[in-house]
Amino acid sequence: MTKVILRFTLLFVLLVLCQVVVFNHICLFGVAIPLVFIYFIIKLPVTLGVNKVMTLAFLLGLTIDVFSNTQGMNALACTLLSVCRMPVLKLYLPRQDDLTNPEPSLRTLAPAVFMKYAVTLVTLYCAFFFIIEAFTFFDFMKLLLRIVCSSALTFVIILAFDGFTSRSR
Amino acid sequence: MRNLLNFYLRYSAWFVFAFYVVVSCMLLVKKNPYQHHVYMTSAGAVAAGVYDVSSNITGYINLRDINEDLQRRNATLESEVIELRHRNRMLRQAILQDSLSRVDSLGQFAFIVASVINNSVIHPYNYITVDKGRCEGLEPEMGVMDQNGVVGVVNVVSDHHARIISLLNPNFRLSCKLRGNDAFGSLVWDGKKPTEALLEELPKQVKFHKGDTIITSGYSAMFPEGIPVGVIMESARGEDDNFHTLRIRLLTDFSTLSTVKIISNRDIVDIRNAETDRNAEADRNS
Repeated sequence: MTKVILRFTLLFVLLVLCQVVVFNHICLFGVAIPLVFIYFIIKLPVTLGVNKVMTLAFLLGLTIDVFSNTQGMNALACTLLSVCRMPVLKLYLPRQDDLTNPEPSLRTLAPAVFMKYAVTLVTLYCAFFFIIEAFTFFDFMKLLLRIVCSSALTFVIILAFDGFTSRSR
Repeated sequence: MRNLLNFYLRYSAWFVFAFYVVVSCMLLVKKNPYQHHVYMTSAGAVAAGVYDVSSNITGYINLRDINEDLQRRNATLESEVIELRHRNRMLRQAILQDSLSRVDSLGQFAFIVASVINNSVIHPYNYITVDKGRCEGLEPEMGVMDQNGVVGVVNVVSDHHARIISLLNPNFRLSCKLRGNDAFGSLVWDGKKPTEALLEELPKQVKFHKGDTIITSGYSAMFPEGIPVGVIMESARGEDDNFHTLRIRLLTDFSTLSTVKIISNRDIVDIRNAETDRNAEADRNS
């Protein structure tokens, strides 16, 4: 148990650092922004209570907000995402006992299931984030383009990240 | 009582959810950026520390471009110095003839040089973090420029760091005018490209040409008059009845910002006192 907590703390710090130092400065073609830190929410054990998941997600969003000066945007989007997490997983994996390990990853779930799960969550998050952001400048086509491109970029990076972290263990 | 407790326990997830949503919405709708607490911004100790380290590593990357900009700026200043020296000589001769003394208007401004440790251009509201703070003499609402032009205005200050509202932020409007013409308008970013902004509320009768330079008007205490801001690209969108709206190409390259100068106005305390006095008086009269 302590080991798991330690590992997730490490993952939290690592993802926040990666996001604020590297990924926040990437903007492909002026539309695609990688929002890689949500890998933390994707990765949280499914056995964890929904209250704890929400708290952790909110704290993660708040930390990113403090670093990137986006008061409340990521905090709100993360909280919304953490609520959508279990319903999405149940959609693709009706029977929970298929899980060998409570942490969703390419190894523990079937690759196709994990990919569907990750794609849905990433797209949801990008949609939440850019819609919250768009309250200020509304331009529907640009909003859609940003959501699609950012989701694609984030998904690719998260897959790479997942492959990397699961192999190293 | 027990039923109530059970009710709370059973639906605790909804309460927690509502609580977090309300908290983040409160953060979100707090519009005035001057009210943000320093720990909620990138000028806070932890965030600024991380950015310090990362900018130490990446600070060398754009040096070549910056050097070129500086060389160019240096060349124009050099020619200006020669011209001013010449004019100075002529004025000195004139002063000998009638002994009126000139007021040195630029003497009231001093510059503090700072390094940018975090910067963004991709969000609708962009901010910059620098590595100087209250201990180095920074105060909120000081103007910021770099070697090319206006950058923004200081907004949250901690002991050794400060957050600047970038010009690429609709919360910041800058009073500008055309060079060689006292017609003024207000410059604001429209959130589209980090290289362009709009000059609004320019009176209709003013004549302008593509390529004219826009400079600060000096009407606010933040910036002295005459700092270059941008170049006119074209007349933009809806022909308003009494005003022009112009699209401006900004002279400052926000994506490669590295060193900035913060303008400290020695008279700002006097000006502010005068303005608050006047406001107080107006309140009393009303």
